[in-house]
Amino acid sequence: MFSYSFHWNQAFKALPQMLDGALVTLQVAILSMVIGLAVALALTLFRLSGNRILSGFATGWVEIARNTPALFQIYMAHFGLGNFGIHLSPYTALLVGIAFNNAGYLAENFRGALKAIPETQTRAGRSLGMTSLQAFRYIVLPQMLRVAFLPATNQMVWAILMTSLGVTVGMNTDLAGITQELNARSFRTFEFFALAAVIYYVIAKIVTLAARLAAARMFRY
Amino acid sequence: MKKTSVLAFGLVAATALTSPAKADKLDDIISSGTLRCAVVLDFPPMGARDENNNPIGFDVDYCNDLAKALGVTAEIVETPFPERIPALMSGRVDVGVASTSDTLERAKTVGMTIPYFAFQMAVTANDKSGVKSFEDMKGKTVGATAGTFEAIALEKSVKEWGVGEFRPYQTQADVFLALSQGQIDATVSTSTVAQSNVKSGKFAGISVVGNAPYDIDYVALFTNREEYGLINYLNLFINQQVRTGRYNELYEKWVGGEVPALSVNGVYR
Repeated sequence: MFSYSFHWNQAFKALPQMLDGALVTLQVAILSMVIGLAVALALTLFRLSGNRILSGFATGWVEIARNTPALFQIYMAHFGLGNFGIHLSPYTALLVGIAFNNAGYLAENFRGALKAIPETQTRAGRSLGMTSLQAFRYIVLPQMLRVAFLPATNQMVWAILMTSLGVTVGMNTDLAGITQELNARSFRTFEFFALAAVIYYVIAKIVTLAARLAAARMFRY
Repeated sequence: MKKTSVLAFGLVAATALTSPAKADKLDDIISSGTLRCAVVLDFPPMGARDENNNPIGFDVDYCNDLAKALGVTAEIVETPFPERIPALMSGRVDVGVASTSDTLERAKTVGMTIPYFAFQMAVTANDKSGVKSFEDMKGKTVGATAGTFEAIALEKSVKEWGVGEFRPYQTQADVFLALSQGQIDATVSTSTVAQSNVKSGKFAGISVVGNAPYDIDYVALFTNREEYGLINYLNLFINQQVRTGRYNELYEKWVGGEVPALSVNGVYR
């Protein structure tokens, strides 16, 4: 039933353009990850703080970020806030949407990692005269980051793939946006989409491998 | 004797086996009794949904007319703009009645008929943007529906101007939502869509401010490139729609005003 002749040469002509898009994709993903990590760390501290308002805020964030679709979060960042006169450009909206999602998932990662560190270590630290902040900073935090590192690379891959949702808010410079445009112009849907899929795969694979290598170096005993 | 009968049987079997393969798409449609049309239902007045969620619009009526001419029942398959071609290629639809601009680039991929409708391009602006004409759009943030004729033309204009920003949205509704929120200052769309959205009252604070100096956007029906039999039939059907006055009738029903000519001066199609 599938009647289509592939014209790969047409698609390969657009490869440089798509690779430029891939760079934007990677840039958004990295930025969203940096912001996400910082926010997730803050959310984790909020939840540990024992302050009901702060921990309630953190729990709310995590609940919404993890239990609603990323598409919805990005759409809301653009059209939802737009309704209240806050206008984020497609790039910013996409970045905010993914960073929001990342922060929620990473905060849960951190929570899981914290559970893996026996409480006795904190007590040992405190009995050596450390303040609770010092005990957290010097004993718990480094171990937490180590445990959470590989799960966090998962989120990084997920962030790369989520950038493709930017097309719904008018993003046209990332890989998905450029692919859509090339497709609209020529109707060579399958070549462009296949090429984009391969590029996404390669980026994701490189990121995973790089993370493995980095982990092997950083976490040597 | 025995040999001949085996040979005869073989011939009959071979004919029986090969003849269905010779049936083209037109045959398939007639024998299946259903014509499946790709229609964009986010593009009033060409395609939309009524209060009961039934598909309505010029393209929907056009598909029904085509099905009637073929003596089959019409099935409207909703396809957003970017999904028209995948729907055709994967065999989910037979014909696209989807306001598809007949560019040469696209005709390399799908088979286009003669034009069945023609659009004039209009500029719609947010009232607060200060955009009063097409020229005022220079340097502003503008947008259009991704993958449409006007989006391609507008993006080119923005590149030529060298200032301002172009944003493609996935649906016409998103463009007008962004426009009424002030996320974009102006858009270029077909005048029919512009009028229909401004009149709908769903989007506050926007008005049509003038025409865009783009070529008339002739749109064609499309099907698989190699289906000459069907394309031939579709061409005749479009011709008959105009000849019988049905085209004018449908235009009056859905759009109103001066009916655009479908022929180009000084050249054969």
